[in-house]
Amino acid sequence: MKLAFGITGLIFLGMYIGAEKTLTPPVNDGKVHLKWSTDLNPVRDVQIKKFEEMYPNDTVTIDPSANGDNSKVIVQCATGVGPDIMDTEADTMRSMVDAGVLLDLTPYAAERGFSPENTYSSIKGDLMYKGKQYRFPCNVDAACIIYNKQIFDDHGVPYPQPNWTEEDFIKAANGILHNPSKSGKTHIAYSPSGGVGYWHDELLARGGSLFSPDGLWSRVNSKASVDGLQDYSDMMFKYHVIPTPADAASISSQGGWGSGGMNWFYAGQSAMIPIGRWFICQLPNYPKITGHLGVVQVPRIGNLSSVVECDTRAAAINSKSPHWHEALNFLQYLASPQYSKIVVDSGDAMPPNPKVAASGQALVNALVPDPAFHAPFVAATVSGKTMDDDSPYIDAAEVTRWQGDYVGKVENKLMTPQQALDALAEQINQQIRLNLERRPDLQKVYEQQTGKVYSPDWWKSVNQ
Amino acid sequence: MTKKTKTGELALSYGRLLVLALLGMMIALPFVWMVGASFKTLDQVQNVQIVAKHPTLENYPIVLTVKPDPVTHKMLNLQYGRWYFNSLFIAVGSTFLQVLTSALAAFAFARLKWKGRDTVFMLYLATMMIPGVVLMIPNFQAMVSLHFINTYHGLIIPAAFSAFGTFLLRQFMLSISPALDEAATIDGAGAWTIFWDIVMPLARPGIIALTIITFLGAYQSFFWPLIMLNNDQLFPMSVGMLNLSSSYGTETNYIMAATVMNVAPLIVIFIVFQKFLVSGLQLGGVKG
Repeated sequence: MKLAFGITGLIFLGMYIGAEKTLTPPVNDGKVHLKWSTDLNPVRDVQIKKFEEMYPNDTVTIDPSANGDNSKVIVQCATGVGPDIMDTEADTMRSMVDAGVLLDLTPYAAERGFSPENTYSSIKGDLMYKGKQYRFPCNVDAACIIYNKQIFDDHGVPYPQPNWTEEDFIKAANGILHNPSKSGKTHIAYSPSGGVGYWHDELLARGGSLFSPDGLWSRVNSKASVDGLQDYSDMMFKYHVIPTPADAASISSQGGWGSGGMNWFYAGQSAMIPIGRWFICQLPNYPKITGHLGVVQVPRIGNLSSVVECDTRAAAINSKSPHWHEALNFLQYLASPQYSKIVVDSGDAMPPNPKVAASGQALVNALVPDPAFHAPFVAATVSGKTMDDDSPYIDAAEVTRWQGDYVGKVENKLMTPQQALDALAEQINQQIRLNLERRPDLQKVYEQQTGKVYSPDWWKSVNQ
Repeated sequence: MTKKTKTGELALSYGRLLVLALLGMMIALPFVWMVGASFKTLDQVQNVQIVAKHPTLENYPIVLTVKPDPVTHKMLNLQYGRWYFNSLFIAVGSTFLQVLTSALAAFAFARLKWKGRDTVFMLYLATMMIPGVVLMIPNFQAMVSLHFINTYHGLIIPAAFSAFGTFLLRQFMLSISPALDEAATIDGAGAWTIFWDIVMPLARPGIIALTIITFLGAYQSFFWPLIMLNNDQLFPMSVGMLNLSSSYGTETNYIMAATVMNVAPLIVIFIVFQKFLVSGLQLGGVKG
């Protein structure tokens, strides 16, 4: 036993010496080394290289995060050693601002050229919290419908036209589903990409909101909201043109082309998919569909304009960073035409600088050389909106999770849209009351906002 | 025994075998799929067929950065060899230290008599009841204070102590007759000699079980290295493979090829030592 431990100990020691000896020590180049928490996307190297060319006194290294998971940044920031720059989502931004983690950019943004006026007005709300700016976009995303022309031709269905309506969409989808194809194959009309997103688009197009302007009441069971969710439900259960989650699971297990709407589309089995321009990043891996794609904005509802929810992966600065001043250079870089050009060329959604993406022609790249493909994304980003109305009285991430739960109940026919949204509104309102009752800081916000003295029965006397 | 009873028993036995075979297939399927996917191109990975229609070996040299990616015509930004070594080094280091410290602590709790021993042991055990997530921030804060961020020490030293390992080995050591210690003491042996020459050899099944459990856990560890490191020279495989999954999309075929090579040592270790693992855990579980 002593021998076994001795040998293992020697192996460990040998490995330790080897590991330490072969490490390249950090270079003392006199530059400021910034840490950027983002995903390990191959295009980041190109983006960083350009930044270092433009700001020769600064360098950036990536502090990798699991794609979409903020746990690492939260743990690091809680102990005061967070990255200098971090990619954040809108609801995480609000929690981080409340925790004092993010730097208020407002005093520097206009002078440095990365204020909300330097990007799309449609995402302004997602960069701001309580009237102050905390982020600037790395990219912007607004979904359009990408369609596979080969499938439309196969079923003899005309391609979707700009300005099309929901009725046109149903007609086209029915054509794909029911017209016999020349190839003898059957196809899926539409790849679903999440019920909450569909409902949000409908809600925004109808001018609805999630909260009352004072944030004290949920508005998720307003007419605009219920009509939006009803529309989504009808597409699944009345018109049968969007697969339900049960249909999707069945298709995935029987079809043999993988699970998830995106895989169906990449595999050439689905005719339409609602997705952002970032879709083209992966196109080189799918030569079968490359060159056969068209794009159109999401269908209009009646006489309303086509509106989708805009989203952004945006960078914020750690307020405790010793290099926060240099990190401002990085945000300035994100607003530059040089950075946006890299985003255009790599197809990583829409660039943050609208001047670089003014038309379909401006977005042409080696992946998709057709300007008509890119043009609808410009229009969708300009006309899009963010679901930026929030309540200071409830955690935004919690509300997001509950929305998914209740939309899921509608998708699984456990509730009608009206029932689901009534229940969701009640749950949110109850939580707001509870939070107010428990937290004196929120009571102060309430008093400042309403000019009234807080009372636990406030909600009984207030008109929603 | 009647013929009817025999037939019934036979049917029951076949039934059991069938259920076990089905369960075994369910457990094996993800592994088989992983190997199958490692021989597919990305567009073929979406297919549910386990065996690729047109299998390719290309994913392996691409992941090992011997060959460029056929789409981008560039080498992947991976340091596979370095990350593989790091995974093994971190696992070997954590395992060696944890088994050693657990054995020493277990010996103190099982074989030495000192005031408050059982109370201290109960307190020690109580730390197992605290979820790891709750300890994440305090542990990380400790690493910051010790300047262990972005170092191998920060990955190995926190894993060098384990209440579970101590508990497991203590149970083994309690099952060894105290008469052996007494006889050794009469012969002039000290505690150190009793530990190395009497108790440790007899606790071998437990030590092997703990070694396997610790090695597997350390080798697969993801979240702790993720938050501790931002220098890619120090990444273990689990963190390095994030390079293959980003907002650009997930290159499942490459991930599977990398994973097949990554899990190979684990499978070999498990197959070779599974007898000790099962017997070790059984023995440790019944002694009080």
